[in-house]
Amino acid sequence: MLDTVLLFREALYGALLIGLACSVLGVYVVLRRIVFVGAALAQLSSAGIALALFLGGLGVGGELTHHPVAVSLIVTLSGALFFGLGGAGRSRVPPDATIGVTYAVAAAAGILLIAKATTGEAHDIFLSGNILGITRADTYVLLAVSVPVLLLHLAFYKEFLFVSFDPETARTLGYQVTRWNLLLYLTLGLVIAFAMQFAGVMLVFNFLVLPAVTGLLVARSMAGIFTVAVLAGLLASMLGFVLSVPFDLPSGPAIIAVSGALALAAWGVRRLRGA
Amino acid sequence: MSDLVTFDQARLGYGRRAVLTDISFSIPKGDFLGLVGPNGAGKTTILRTILGSLRPLGGTVEVTPGLRFGYVPQRDSLSYDFPLTVQEVVLMGRYDRIGLGRRPTADDRRLATLSLEHVGIASLAARQFADLSGGQKQRTLIARALVGTPDILVLDEPTNGMDLVSTIHILGLVRELYERDGLTVLMVSHALNEVANYVERIALVMEGMFRIGSVDEIMNEPTLSKMYGIPVDVESMNGHRIVLARRGVSQGTHDHA
Repeated sequence: MLDTVLLFREALYGALLIGLACSVLGVYVVLRRIVFVGAALAQLSSAGIALALFLGGLGVGGELTHHPVAVSLIVTLSGALFFGLGGAGRSRVPPDATIGVTYAVAAAAGILLIAKATTGEAHDIFLSGNILGITRADTYVLLAVSVPVLLLHLAFYKEFLFVSFDPETARTLGYQVTRWNLLLYLTLGLVIAFAMQFAGVMLVFNFLVLPAVTGLLVARSMAGIFTVAVLAGLLASMLGFVLSVPFDLPSGPAIIAVSGALALAAWGVRRLRGA
Repeated sequence: MSDLVTFDQARLGYGRRAVLTDISFSIPKGDFLGLVGPNGAGKTTILRTILGSLRPLGGTVEVTPGLRFGYVPQRDSLSYDFPLTVQEVVLMGRYDRIGLGRRPTADDRRLATLSLEHVGIASLAARQFADLSGGQKQRTLIARALVGTPDILVLDEPTNGMDLVSTIHILGLVRELYERDGLTVLMVSHALNEVANYVERIALVMEGMFRIGSVDEIMNEPTLSKMYGIPVDVESMNGHRIVLARRGVSQGTHDHA
């Protein structure tokens, strides 16, 4: 079994990196109650990939369409910019409805574009991803994206915390709340756009929500939540991956199943503590 | 006394829609002003203009350069999902002084503890903020506002949703801070009867109307009857003034008295 797992070790490293980066950002996603912004951004990212494949098949778009991740990045960061600037709450439509519209339209657009694309891989990668296909070069790319984002969040933890917890007071103390929000959403969009290529919508969404929920259930401090979320994300990646290879299970859903089991265990711990 | 904030014929509102026009008043250093009116009357518009998050549509609003606000937001505007201790919440009041990307020092923590002592809840420092009672949460937020050594303490509906005892304790604490520390205080509230017995001056906002004066100048029957649009009585009981709508008067368009 170990040999088989080692054969896909690059995929495992990739899954661990995606799990790590998404788990950290997921703490803000869950605590700020913007879970469905994460889902909408993941869906926009997949629509971006589909758009690149569609345009590439038509022979338009030039060099850009040869790099689906570039198109995905543009589409995802545009979405992050929209949500980060509070675009979802500006019209008469409630913010969550705007997020829902984005999610539904991006999902449908992705499927329609890929259905008519003459190039591209199997279509179901948009949902379940293709984590086994991660190469060493992909791992380096994921490292190059995740490490700066995580360092940024580590350096400005106090700023992100303040504008998330009490933006009104932060503003009175001179914080440019909109800019900090934008930075948070852009880092989220960046990680999602790169993670999406390999992990798929379902797994990225899982990493953004379940590890943070696991942390929230058992930890009683911010440091505790981040620690438990990261451990849960890494453990789910590792266990899900290790179990999926010998049992010939799709890796993404296996990782999600382990994440779900960890969240359930955390809920049990909380119940036992009587909280 | 020098004025910290000065409104001069200011027109206030959102976009092109003016909520209040021709607003002129000042908040001098050492003032204890209650900004009172029903929900939707324009209190928040004035408050946001003072805090700088809203620009006047016309006229001028001058705020002393470098003026530091100790802002106490409405409790329900905060997110209670964050597992923060009382001390961590108080420390936020020093975040801008600590600087970007830096962590709070031992001195910051000492000041946070002193601030908690100042409002009488030092023993709660390690407790979860979300688990506190309404009154304790309010004291925590006041401690956070004070830890940054503000020039003016600004409280937005500090007694909203509190029981009678907590309300009296919080208003008493704010009055004590005003008297003992010489703090300038601006308190925003919809409850005239609560505020009137603690502040020095009242600014009453009512359906586009604005009136400011000492408590005596505002808390009288002619002024309040004109502002509310119905006859009201101002009774005195054990040194406290209470505004009552006169019995038998049919309901007008106002909900608050």
